[in-house]
Amino acid sequence: MLKIENLQVKLEEEDKQILKGLSLTVPSGEVHAIMGPNGSGKSTMSYVLSGKGGYEVTGGSATLDGVDLLAMEPEERAAAGLFLAFQYPVEIPGVGNMTFLRTAVNSQRKSRGEDEMSAAEFLKVIRAKAKSLKIDAEMLKRPVNVGFSGGEKKRNEILQMAMLEPKMCVLDETDSGLDVDAMKLVAEGVNALRDGKRSFLVITHYQRLLDHIKPDVVHIMADGRIIKSGGPELALEVENNGYADLLAEVA
Amino acid sequence: MTALDTMKAKDGVDQETVDAVQSVEKYKYGFSTDIEMDFAPKGVNEDIVRLISSKNEEPEWMTEWRLQAFRRWQQMDEPDWAMVHYPEIDFQDIYYYAKPKSMLVKPKSLDEVDPKLLATYEKLGIPLKEQMILAGIEGAGDTPAEGRKVAVDAVFDSVSIGTTFKDELAKAGVIFCSISEAIREHPELVKKYLGSVVPQSDNYYATLNSAVFSDGSFVYIPEGTKCPMELSTYFRINAENTGQFERTLIIADKGSYVSYLEGCTAPKRDTNQLHAAVVELVIMEDAEIKYSTVQNWFPGDENGKGGIYNFVTKRADCRGDRAKVMWTQVETGSAVTWKYPSCILRGDDSSGEFYSIAIANNYQQADTGTKMVHLGKNTKSRIVSKGISAGRAQNTYRGLVSMHPKAKNSRNYTQCDSLLIGDKCGAHTVPYIEVRNNSSRVEHEATTSKVDDEQLFYCRQRGIDEEAALALIVNGFAKEVLQSLPMEFAMEAQALVAISLEGSVG
Amino acid sequence: MAVSKAKSAAPDARLAAIISPVGGKWASEARKSALTRLHDMGLPTRRDEYWKFTRPDELTKADATPATLLETDEKPVFCDIDRLRLVFVDGVFDPDISDQMAMEHVEIEPLANAAEKDIHWARDIYGVLENSGQSPVNRPLAALNTATATQGMVIRVTGKAPRPICLHYVRTSETADAVVHHIVKVEAGGDVTLLENGPAAARINKVLEVDIADGGAFHHVRTQGRDHERRAAAHIFARLGTESSFKSFSLTVNGALTRNECVIEILGDNAHATIAGAAVGDGKTHPFHQDDTVFITHDAVNCESRQVFKKVLRNGATGVFQGKILVKPGAQKTDGYQISQGLMLDDDSQFLAKPELEIYADDVACSHGSTVGAIDADALFYLMSRGIPRAQATDLLVLSFLAAALEEIENEEIRKDIFGRLEAWIERHRN
Repeated sequence: MLKIENLQVKLEEEDKQILKGLSLTVPSGEVHAIMGPNGSGKSTMSYVLSGKGGYEVTGGSATLDGVDLLAMEPEERAAAGLFLAFQYPVEIPGVGNMTFLRTAVNSQRKSRGEDEMSAAEFLKVIRAKAKSLKIDAEMLKRPVNVGFSGGEKKRNEILQMAMLEPKMCVLDETDSGLDVDAMKLVAEGVNALRDGKRSFLVITHYQRLLDHIKPDVVHIMADGRIIKSGGPELALEVENNGYADLLAEVA
Repeated sequence: MTALDTMKAKDGVDQETVDAVQSVEKYKYGFSTDIEMDFAPKGVNEDIVRLISSKNEEPEWMTEWRLQAFRRWQQMDEPDWAMVHYPEIDFQDIYYYAKPKSMLVKPKSLDEVDPKLLATYEKLGIPLKEQMILAGIEGAGDTPAEGRKVAVDAVFDSVSIGTTFKDELAKAGVIFCSISEAIREHPELVKKYLGSVVPQSDNYYATLNSAVFSDGSFVYIPEGTKCPMELSTYFRINAENTGQFERTLIIADKGSYVSYLEGCTAPKRDTNQLHAAVVELVIMEDAEIKYSTVQNWFPGDENGKGGIYNFVTKRADCRGDRAKVMWTQVETGSAVTWKYPSCILRGDDSSGEFYSIAIANNYQQADTGTKMVHLGKNTKSRIVSKGISAGRAQNTYRGLVSMHPKAKNSRNYTQCDSLLIGDKCGAHTVPYIEVRNNSSRVEHEATTSKVDDEQLFYCRQRGIDEEAALALIVNGFAKEVLQSLPMEFAMEAQALVAISLEGSVG
Repeated sequence: MAVSKAKSAAPDARLAAIISPVGGKWASEARKSALTRLHDMGLPTRRDEYWKFTRPDELTKADATPATLLETDEKPVFCDIDRLRLVFVDGVFDPDISDQMAMEHVEIEPLANAAEKDIHWARDIYGVLENSGQSPVNRPLAALNTATATQGMVIRVTGKAPRPICLHYVRTSETADAVVHHIVKVEAGGDVTLLENGPAAARINKVLEVDIADGGAFHHVRTQGRDHERRAAAHIFARLGTESSFKSFSLTVNGALTRNECVIEILGDNAHATIAGAAVGDGKTHPFHQDDTVFITHDAVNCESRQVFKKVLRNGATGVFQGKILVKPGAQKTDGYQISQGLMLDDDSQFLAKPELEIYADDVACSHGSTVGAIDADALFYLMSRGIPRAQATDLLVLSFLAAALEEIENEEIRKDIFGRLEAWIERHRN
């Protein structure tokens, strides 16, 4: 269970408050969606949860199954089960995709006191998972995200998610820049990981992704806070009427 | 360090790197071996030069050659143009000759070699003894299933302690022995080629080397011969206050091929030790030499105390048409490095390549690069240099690409990238480009940047810790060079990259 | 490091013969101290690393080699641009044929006048920027200039100058050996364009010192050459304040020897410097040797510098580029870019380059590129396949090669003027 309470965050370099008392709970096995206008702090939330530099937490807390996320290094949060699918996956020249993933898988296993995955086993598992995401062997050999198309990058993020088997997945605008077919493929990949225990927090601008990844709860975020929560119908309401009415309600 | 047979596929190489960061202690090779040594008195003069010559049982002409070099050297000044700073070296406070006492009577075979010496090499990861046993088995086809065979010449302080696989090489007509042996056994070859690529008076350190070199390796690959295995030399400076002045001479006759590996280590010492080597490569028509170095001399401690001064002259002369040479170097060690493996592209259609990774951490200083001198028509050269600076280190790429008027239709491509880790280090690029004909094309690109925070964060979000993530990214940055190394060296090099960068994050 | 002992000990008749002119208090002091540092460093010789690609002999010897005057009916460059024109004849300012030295937001005064006064604001710039530029590399010819110059302009800019100031050089003597020293002070918020054109003398030693205060902008466009036999050493020393901007472009055509040194110190945050040059040389009738030597020091945060140099060479012409970007510790977020390219139209010419980076800060993006080669055969074929004759196609490709350097000229009218000059030159030198 991810529990965020009254989280307040500002930019380190300029005195600008981004999150202003964000509270949110995603119980195990549930899928929550966050929608909101540009600049409402959605991406900031995903970065602060995963420990990116440049932000200062000025108040509140965030825990995953009771463990304080904010006190840990990024890699410790990852090992604790938090996964962030990046809006803009980073390119790492010269580092093979497969090597990267195997290093990540085994680092996490090691830090959890588990046995490392052997090369053969890893190869077997990744091939099966890659196939279902239509990622070919060539893509696995190429350097991480270098020269990948937008769709390939996002599929690669989902593949990493599948390999790392996190407890809590944060998907930051995974649908951005994808055509309908690519989005379906990504959504299928995500749905395949829904197992009743794993939780998801899906950040998106558009309702259409939620047609494919059905959320249990939809939150609307504005100006660094959740201003309204509801069922999937809330997303449709936003799709039809925009955010203006909702913003007016809370103003 | 990593045994040959542990490597299954190149794919797993980066994993080794990561493991190395976590498992390998700092400067693994920093042990010294307690072996009784036979020293010549400190300092250098004509008597010492004669002594070295006589200890090696050299003929008169060789002694004269050395003396000639020594007289030149006395009139020369130490060069000061490189971007390196170090206290003045007292050349009279160095032992120019140190030999393990057990070597005073020449061993008949490796079995007679001091077991402590062999143990040293085991620690270095050279399966010398094992290979020696293999070499003792009569008959061909005795190559073990796993891994390739590598013939090793090991040089301990000043003296070569033994060359493996001699018999098998001899069958192919390949001569691989210590240079002192070559001077005695193959004087006609040595006379013809020694100093023909790096002349006696080439530069201060090369001239000193010409006077006092005590040993090194000699290779001759006869016409049309592909050397049946990779050749390797391991250099180790053990004794304190010694200088190591080895001399390597490789001749690849017409249409021949050889791949040569060179590894270097030294124990941790508080004092600085001097290493001034000369390597000469002669490449005839249609011949090819690949020369790979993993230089891991002790770099000094975190505070810049101790470490090797590495002043090395390496040069390849592509004498014949279509001759090829490839230098690959991974420079992670030494307190000060001054080294420019060069290619003289004399033959038409000859080609030279230079791949380099230079890592400088803590207080290390590296001034390294290459010279590509295009003299023949249709000659090609390629330079890929990856410099990594961390801590308070200074790392300079210095290079020359020269297209002479007669070098029509020649090409050079240079890519020179620097990576900075931390704000106290420096990265410098000093290329010289001289083009004197218009049918040739020269392209030079250089970039300097820091390790990308986004990349680091991305790796860490996937659960990889900071140091491992850095090693991964740096290895990715240097990929092109690592790929040009023979496989077993590539692994060692990747691990070295990781070790060299220890303590440079956070 | 700034002073080499070995050289100062060398007997140098030329040095011994140099006497600083007497002037007002500040000028005499500045000249005297320049002479002292010149004696300390000595004149450059062929053995100096910094003169590896260019022989300094003609620039250092006692008397200038005579240079024939070029007869031409070509109109001077910039003549159609509305500008304030100041004319130097054989290196000496001639007020009678110059425009009135008055313009809004600008004060102009001949150096000769300013140097007579005991107190003058020029004291804080004259020889001061030059002196600062003497480290880490010596530039003795600039010190020689400071020590001996009596001619030049002293310009102070307090706001946006309504039109460019043009220093127009005219030659009448075959032997004139000129020393000219200009200083420009751009006050906070000032903005001025300085143009320079014309052959100055048989041999000229020129220094331009530019001090740009916070938010100031300085644009500089000069043409050098015209006369085949003339020789020139020109130094620019610029100091940049916060959010200031410096842009300089040089066109070199003809000239037996041209050595342009540009030393830029970026001291204020968020400043920008561009130094660009186009050189076209044809050694057919006269030797051509052109050298751009640039040293940019970043000593502030978030600054940008660009160096763009293009050289077209034929018939034994020589093009030299030595460019360095030095990023000092703490000069984070520096963006340094440098490109030098040689286009060789035949086999006799040479292009010699030493593009250097010296970087002591990690959060930087610095790059340099250098290429040398002939006209791209594919491009040439493409143009010819469209019916363009070879000679004309070659011209087009030469102009397209040079275009990137010309684009660094901000003012469109001036850019067009320069472009026209180039076109005419290329046409004249068609094979």
